[in-house]
Amino acid sequence: MIVAAPEREQSRARYPDEDGYVERDGVRVFYEVYGDAPTTFLLFPTSPISHSRMWKGQIPYLSRHFRVVVFDPRGNGKSDRPDDAEAYSYWEVVKDGRAVLEATGAETALLGGLCDGGGYALMLAATDPALALGVAAISPCVPGLTPGHPNYRRYPSTEPLDTDEGWAKWNVHYWRRDFRGFLEFFFSQQLPEPHSTKQIEDCVLWGLDGGVDSLVLADEEAPPPFASAEEARELVARVRCPVLVVHGELDNCQTRERALAVAELTRGTFVGLEGAGHIPTARHPVKVNGLLKEFADEVAPPAPKVKTWTRALSRRRRALYVSSPIGLGHARRDVAIAKELRKLHPDLEIDWLAQHPVTAVLEAEGERIHPASALLANESTHIESESAEHDLHAFQAIRRMDEILVANFMLFLDVVREEHYDLWIGDEAWEVDYFLHENPELKSSAYVWLTDFVGWLPMGDGGEHEEFLTADYNAEMIEHIARFPRIRDRAVFVGNPDDVVPDSFGAELPGIRDWTEQHYDFAGYVTGFEPVADREKLRHELGYRPREQVCIVTVGGSGVGGHLLRRVIDAFPAAKPLVPELRMIVVAGPRIDPATLPAPEGLEVRAYVHELYRHLAACDLAIVQGGLTTSMELTANRRPFLYFPLRHHFEQNFHVRHRLERYGAGRCMDFESDGPTEIATAIAEEIGRDVDYRPVETDGAARAAKLIAELV
Amino acid sequence: MAVELIGREQTQARYPDESGEVVRDGVRIHWEVYGSGEPTIFLLPTWSIIHSRHWKGQIPYFARHHRVLTFDGRGNGRSDRPAGGYEEREFAADALAVMDATGTERAVLVSLSQGAQRALLLAADSPERVDGSVFICPAVALGDGLPWRGTYSWDDELDTDEGWAKYNRWYWLRDYRGFLEFFFSQMFNERHSTKPIEDCVGWGLETTPEVLIATHGRDPLDAEAQRELCGRVRSPVLVIQGTNDAITGLGRGTALAEATGGELVLLEGSGHGPHARDPVAVNLLLREFVRKLA
Repeated sequence: MIVAAPEREQSRARYPDEDGYVERDGVRVFYEVYGDAPTTFLLFPTSPISHSRMWKGQIPYLSRHFRVVVFDPRGNGKSDRPDDAEAYSYWEVVKDGRAVLEATGAETALLGGLCDGGGYALMLAATDPALALGVAAISPCVPGLTPGHPNYRRYPSTEPLDTDEGWAKWNVHYWRRDFRGFLEFFFSQQLPEPHSTKQIEDCVLWGLDGGVDSLVLADEEAPPPFASAEEARELVARVRCPVLVVHGELDNCQTRERALAVAELTRGTFVGLEGAGHIPTARHPVKVNGLLKEFADEVAPPAPKVKTWTRALSRRRRALYVSSPIGLGHARRDVAIAKELRKLHPDLEIDWLAQHPVTAVLEAEGERIHPASALLANESTHIESESAEHDLHAFQAIRRMDEILVANFMLFLDVVREEHYDLWIGDEAWEVDYFLHENPELKSSAYVWLTDFVGWLPMGDGGEHEEFLTADYNAEMIEHIARFPRIRDRAVFVGNPDDVVPDSFGAELPGIRDWTEQHYDFAGYVTGFEPVADREKLRHELGYRPREQVCIVTVGGSGVGGHLLRRVIDAFPAAKPLVPELRMIVVAGPRIDPATLPAPEGLEVRAYVHELYRHLAACDLAIVQGGLTTSMELTANRRPFLYFPLRHHFEQNFHVRHRLERYGAGRCMDFESDGPTEIATAIAEEIGRDVDYRPVETDGAARAAKLIAELV
Repeated sequence: MAVELIGREQTQARYPDESGEVVRDGVRIHWEVYGSGEPTIFLLPTWSIIHSRHWKGQIPYFARHHRVLTFDGRGNGRSDRPAGGYEEREFAADALAVMDATGTERAVLVSLSQGAQRALLLAADSPERVDGSVFICPAVALGDGLPWRGTYSWDDELDTDEGWAKYNRWYWLRDYRGFLEFFFSQMFNERHSTKPIEDCVGWGLETTPEVLIATHGRDPLDAEAQRELCGRVRSPVLVIQGTNDAITGLGRGTALAEATGGELVLLEGSGHGPHARDPVAVNLLLREFVRKLA
């Protein structure tokens, strides 16, 4: 497997409230503190093969309930990399943990750890019983407690070998020759569950961050913590606090025997995860988070609060609508569907779990936004952080949103466990759909999935690796649906069968169109508005003069569009002579500061245009990105438009473009090759042109609502 | 509502593994033990208008994992029906005697309604025997009562039988079944509750209006005494309270949770007997409470 290393850390779902260093014997160790709940939960690092980001699936969730403290191990992350092996002994990391707790003012704490981290946590609990409230040891490693995993005994680890095959890679000479190759092998062993590409990538990058020297010192040269198995047993048996041991059946690093020994010696609870590998924190974060929370609540019960359970027949009929914030487009169609749904079920209460910019639309519509929405990690900000000049690698951006998706799913789960909903509706709510299929036992309500595209598609310049990755994501989705058809009570495609791309999900996978027709209901397109009947009247209302040639330039709610706006503004001087009546209005939108845009004489730049869709219906030409919502609005209102798909945005380049071509709508432009001159020419050719688009249906919201209404 | 009584007890999902009697001052108290496993769940008697069968929705479930202990309160079931001796402290003493007789050192107490006062006495005065207490719709003198409970005299003859006027010793003697049917239709005011109402009426008919009169108003603990007891409860407390409770009312349970510093779970839409009407929800709450104690 080839792992492409992005240069910067992906967006976190939660950033620390406090960070700092502790220093012991000249070695500085970096820690972070999240949240301010009364009970502290210290999550130990593991060996310097990784650092504190390994807990990214846990931190955002746990920090809503505990004060979470993490630190980077000596040898990785932002901690020092001492060069003597003694400094890497287990006991030093245990002392680092205690020092971090002291520095953060915690007198007692829950202790958690994975692999070596489980060992550190147990050692600290054994030697400082007053400090430890409980230990959660995941895939625990207590060196010498039991014979090590056979994988580590297949080849000598410090002698030169004449092979690099398999576990022969657990060898310091190979590490020095090809550290990345080692990490890729090692973590593909530790994440043996199919479809673990992202988790493996993460681990490899964190391993590279530490470097080979740290690992050699810590794993091969540091003194062992115990002189004998007996000494290890005695120490573990000294742990007096409650202990939870979690172990994956497919663990290729630590044996079940060792995990069971820990549970037995501490009289702890053993939870076996079948089908799981060594790093369930990353691969099964929802399950692990639930185990940690349950354990912590037993050990350190939260302050009592009043809870309510409502008798079944006393419950009001309620739906929770989760609307994706990626692009502003979903908001209006979801509101339209909700309105139609209320026509069918006037007593249905709808709560929205949504974030900016969707919330702006919902507030304007007087919809009820669930207060927990404020705790959602923001996806739009992440997507913007992933974009470059008119460029957004949508597939990678979604992959690099994995931490946010876990965090937001955990929030969703807390909400639906606290309150009764008859129905969950997710419009491209990736986190809800994915983690319900990964944790099917959590589905406790009817559930509807809506989307306007099916299938991750590789961009041409991503090569074989991207083809492999997209196919792997598609395959997991196909397997999810095949294995758990009960999760989606309805899968609604916002569009028609012909809108589905003719491509394949990937090598040896079905065709997207066939599969989608088998697994979806089709609602037709949902614009969320009535098409304009009298355009002249509308123009008059909006203050446009009859002979004016109005060109509206918009990038919707996206913050990614600044470059396109500037490019079109640059075309204005050339376009104006070609179209003397040209009136160009550039709408910056909610996430771009209009002051950052140039405004040549005669061109209007506006921050916000109320009911922009009406202006788009009235204009003579629109210039937009390749997003579905805006381009389909223009199609429905039969306006000429130029659209520029974002580079590397598979949805805009393939799915949307396919749909627009089917409607015969719009003129596709290329940001790469079309400069101001080409744009000016296109404006002159397209503006005010009569179009012959295929009509867009107007009953999509009602059809979607009808499909949904049957479930409540 | 007309209740047809069938002659024999319906099939139980679980029969006791052990049963026996303990005698205090000549009064025989019948107890039963189901299953095994720590901690013991002690399902206390409530007002003697019904007997220990009212826990039938709980016993089979908890007996799969715990030792479950029940007894019939004096005045009903298989226990004696003495002419007097129905003071709260007698019930508490019976409970301790049953614990002693069954070798039960400690237990988690679960009480319904009137049982709350016994449970408070045990938890406050015998803390070494109590791991924790769950109060379902407690009949305590704390917090606000229900307005309609103070309308009519219990002791005096009334010129009406309407509604809560049936809560009157003379009416009990005149039409005992009529009282039971009224009372339990108030207790189970959720729609579609015919079976729990029937059950309770049947259990009520196993004793007599005379016994019920003897149980009534005997040295009840006043608000101050109850508050003092609450202040001494050190073990964990859970109060489960129906928001539509028409017998003792929402205010009582809420106040008890506050006075004991315990957890409060409100059952929206539930009446006074949620353990019988919504046994699954109540069983899960009880299990969670017991699990946290472990």
